Amino acid sequence: METEVKQSEVKEENYVEVRDLVTQFFTFKGIVKAIDGVDLSVKRGEVFGLVGESGCGKSVTATSIMDLVPDPPGRIVRGKIYIDGFNIISDLDKLAQIKVKSETNVKVKRNKRLIKRHNYILSKIRGDKVAMIFQEPFLALNPVLSIGYQIVENIMLHSRIDIINSIIRRETLGEDGVDELIQKIVKTKDYDERRRIVNRWSREYGVPDSDESIYDLINTSEDINYVKKELLSLLAEEKTGIDLQPLSVAREYYKADDELFALNLNLIEAEANRNESEAEHLRQQISQKRSEMRSKFMSFTIKHKLMRKRMDRPLEKESRRRALELLNLVNIAGPERVIDSYPHELSGGMQQRAMIAMALAANPKLLIADEPTTALDVTTQAQILELIKELNVVTGSSVLFITHDLAVIAEMCDRVGVMYAGNLVEQTSVKEIFHDPKHPYTMGLMRAIPRADKKRSADQKLESIPGTVPNLITPPSGCRFHPRCKFAMDVCSEKKPKLVEVEPGHKVACFLYSREYVGEPAGEAQ
Amino acid sequence: MELRYFVLRRVLLIIPTVIGITVLVFILLRSFPDSLLVSAYINPHSTLPRQEQIQIAKEQLGLNLPVPVQYFYYISNLLKGNWGFVTKPFPGPVLLGIELFMPNSIQLAIFSSILSILLAIPIGTYIGSRPNTFADQAGRVFSLVGYAMPPFVLGILLILAFGQGVSNWGGAVLPFNGVVNVPTPVPHWLLNQETGFIISSPTHLVFFDALIHGDPRVAWSAFLHLVLPVVTLTYTILAGLLRFIRAGMVDATNQEYVKTARSKGVPEGMIIKRHIRRNALIPTITVMGLLIAALLSGVVVIEILFTYHGLGWFAVTATLDNQIYGVLDTTLVFGLILVFANLIVDIVYAFMDPRIRY
Amino acid sequence: MAEVNVFKKNVEPQKRNPKLEDMKHTMKLFFKNKLAFSGFVVMMIYFFIALLDFVYPQYLGVTNANTMLSFLYGQQPQLVPPSPPTLSKGIMYIFGTTQYGIPVLPAMLAALKFDMAYSIAIVAIGVAIGMVIGTASGYLGGMVDEFMMRITDIFFSIPQIVLALAIIYTLGDNFIFIVVAFMIIWWPIYARLSRSLALSTKEMRYVEAATASGSSKFRNIFVHVFPNVLSPIFVQISLDIGIIVQLFASLEFIGLNRGNPYLPELGILINWGNQYIVYGAWWPIIIPSIFLVVFTIAVSVMGDGLRDVLDPKLRR
Repeated sequence: METEVKQSEVKEENYVEVRDLVTQFFTFKGIVKAIDGVDLSVKRGEVFGLVGESGCGKSVTATSIMDLVPDPPGRIVRGKIYIDGFNIISDLDKLAQIKVKSETNVKVKRNKRLIKRHNYILSKIRGDKVAMIFQEPFLALNPVLSIGYQIVENIMLHSRIDIINSIIRRETLGEDGVDELIQKIVKTKDYDERRRIVNRWSREYGVPDSDESIYDLINTSEDINYVKKELLSLLAEEKTGIDLQPLSVAREYYKADDELFALNLNLIEAEANRNESEAEHLRQQISQKRSEMRSKFMSFTIKHKLMRKRMDRPLEKESRRRALELLNLVNIAGPERVIDSYPHELSGGMQQRAMIAMALAANPKLLIADEPTTALDVTTQAQILELIKELNVVTGSSVLFITHDLAVIAEMCDRVGVMYAGNLVEQTSVKEIFHDPKHPYTMGLMRAIPRADKKRSADQKLESIPGTVPNLITPPSGCRFHPRCKFAMDVCSEKKPKLVEVEPGHKVACFLYSREYVGEPAGEAQ
Repeated sequence: MELRYFVLRRVLLIIPTVIGITVLVFILLRSFPDSLLVSAYINPHSTLPRQEQIQIAKEQLGLNLPVPVQYFYYISNLLKGNWGFVTKPFPGPVLLGIELFMPNSIQLAIFSSILSILLAIPIGTYIGSRPNTFADQAGRVFSLVGYAMPPFVLGILLILAFGQGVSNWGGAVLPFNGVVNVPTPVPHWLLNQETGFIISSPTHLVFFDALIHGDPRVAWSAFLHLVLPVVTLTYTILAGLLRFIRAGMVDATNQEYVKTARSKGVPEGMIIKRHIRRNALIPTITVMGLLIAALLSGVVVIEILFTYHGLGWFAVTATLDNQIYGVLDTTLVFGLILVFANLIVDIVYAFMDPRIRY
Repeated sequence: MAEVNVFKKNVEPQKRNPKLEDMKHTMKLFFKNKLAFSGFVVMMIYFFIALLDFVYPQYLGVTNANTMLSFLYGQQPQLVPPSPPTLSKGIMYIFGTTQYGIPVLPAMLAALKFDMAYSIAIVAIGVAIGMVIGTASGYLGGMVDEFMMRITDIFFSIPQIVLALAIIYTLGDNFIFIVVAFMIIWWPIYARLSRSLALSTKEMRYVEAATASGSSKFRNIFVHVFPNVLSPIFVQISLDIGIIVQLFASLEFIGLNRGNPYLPELGILINWGNQYIVYGAWWPIIIPSIFLVVFTIAVSVMGDGLRDVLDPKLRR
């Protein structure tokens, strides 16, 4: 029985859509309104850049998307976050009731049972659908666990079915399978194409492809029987001859587990929509599924509890192979050595590569990169950026790239969001943002960077935006940028501008572009 | 550097410490007058004329030679097994006393440290992963009281609560005096013929010897006699361990790598077990050496309180009875035990923390 | 004129002593911590009782500083079984009496004076020796450092009570020598601590800057290193005082201090009381024990509070 996750009213092209996100931190000094109504979306396969001064809420936005905001003191207070069409924080007000008595006295009453379910849901989404790379790899990697363990852990959490499949496929692969491969190879004469075929084949069946001799063999030898013999012997080496029966039981169990998860997702959606009858129906289904699983997999779960290490060993071995592949993918030299080493034994760049490998372990469709190069030295920075861009192309996953460096944005991104003091003030394509910035803040940013492509006269200086980022405990009323804005109007300090599409694909949150307050669009303002 | 090189280096580092301890003990010995040293170096069982024995003892100690040379005589005597003699609590060589009484002390120390570690890790994990809850507050009070209460006070309280003979409180629950209730007639293996003490053979641990000799009644009694001392010592060490494990857990929870683990979707229970606890135990191991020193100090006091015939009891009675070699040789042995314990702690540390091996 | 005002405005905050401001802030934080503050209050109460006893001993009933025999008005000490707590004989008998018919309460109050005096003397001397040796060896480094650290290693390699037994046995078994023995045992703790702090301070930019501008090594130690070592040492002291009192009582409990057998001291009182447990007399042992435990809890709670406010990492 396949359970479909109900698609909600999100555009298919948006992998992540954040609506009206409000995240606050309840500190002793007062409530920090770190994010105040952010709307943004990341399309499938694109690189979306988030840029702004430090302390403007870029990182908080990123952590909020995975609900990684440290609680206490922080909480997502309001908003919707759709990942792959599904709202992961739909029951916010039920999870915790926040009573604000005064700025410094806030009581958060958490519902432990619901938070447990929430964490269960999130643990299935984090790492699997969305993964994150952090700013300082030397802090973000656990110092006492080996790189290999940390990658394998991620694979074991999210790709168990995949792994079991590939073990079973490899173990049951016979001569016909190899024949099929050889037929495919013979059809093409192109070396690269052959290489790709072998690569795909070996990944699918969990046979190591790093051995260059296979390619040489395929390329040089015309004797098909000889090639077949060699491949079969290679395959025989990889076959461990383990008992497949427990593995297929395990696969069944994990599949059932995934179905249970899907039911839970639907239940949360139904509860959020106050659809009581459907929720009740789903609850029944869940408990039915649970008891079904309990009776069906009783011996499996007991065995798994008792002999976890022994039962997981083949999976771990396979995961380790994948981990090696991943380390290869992120261009780490000598992955066999690196996989058993500890974070402190690697250089900063290597650590960040290992971090990326870890993030990619479960093939997430979105990679959040939170200033991944800030803590690295300049040459390494370029390599890491290149790697991320390359992986975006190769794996086809989207990237949410957070940085304060506009040059990096220009290099990496397809679309850009500009943040200021917890608000998204502009969102458009990378070309537009450099050639036609609309928001006064973005204009300021553009004027603050030295540019080689535009000539400056001798008296023209690089400009900086006057003032500093406001204190977010007591942010300015209305538009948070108005105290620093050259074009500030009366309305700016009274009302908060909404993010509006002023040109196709170009959204700005500024009253300068609203006909209501300005006679005509202030495009000529600069 | 690999683990075994680290271990080798750490083992070699013991040498200066051990030499230092012998120097310290030697200095303390030398501050006594020669006549006292000599008279305590005479075997009370020997039948030789006294004058002759004094002569032999003087030669063995090298008393006519300069002090630095005497140190080497001292070391060679130690290595040969001439550790001096005591007249109380039994007349005979100190080494015999150490051999007979040390197992009891080691038994107390090992039982209580194993018990406290087994308790401290789960409890510390539990309270450290939910700071500022009721369980956490209770745990903190528990460890604070244990930290502030000297072991003998706790021992006295336990004797009052569970001890035998507090007739007005309801009678016998647990024994608190000695190693075992001696049955009559005394089994031959339970009594040490040379000293007349209840020190069983062959292991000198009554509980195990009773099992070896197939006497469950004595074994049960020996076990009951262990309960109060072990519980007292366990609480003392447990309090210290909890304090550090909790602090380590709270500290590790706020680290960036925990956020990474969350971002990977590791379930909360696994994060605590695999990612936080391992890191939290590392600072705890560094203070383990101090805790073991405190444990051994506690053993001395507890052995007096419960009249448990161990090395600490031997040291204290020797001090009170002015048995010079009894005091200073046991000091040396306690020093060696602690050095060895610290070696093990450091090796465990290197095993737990891959960073230290560099 | 306006410009001058602006100038003054800018300079004024620097004129204030930043150390003093820091102290004020620290005190404020410390007193905010209720637990640490109550520890401080208890400690102060104990301290004032000790002070009062020192100045007006007759108020608290113990007149002779070194013995409890003043209760016996010159008679030979006679073993009298303890009598239970009562109010009929006066406030002094509220906790009953212990061996020799000595009332527990005034004996305990008298004991405080000694506990305070020796613990403070031990840490003071220990800190004085340890800090000088530790700071110097950390700052000078090299062979001196290596040698000093091996010496402290020796002291850390023998359990404290056992080492105390050996030293007291060698020096002689009385109150003064027990205190001396503790001083000998305690200085390595401060030497280690101040060495590690001196090592980290040595690497600081401002010390390098001072050296570059021609400041001598010894000047550096006194002006730059010492002040940085002080506050962690202070925390360590407050944590140690409780442990010293504990160990001291433990030593007396196992029968040492034979030179002053009637000294009013908590360990001796507990030891006396211990002989009467079997007769069901709980007061001569429970009451002094509680007194001791409350003291150590108060001191360690205060020490924790101090560490929290003085450690810049834990601050705020």
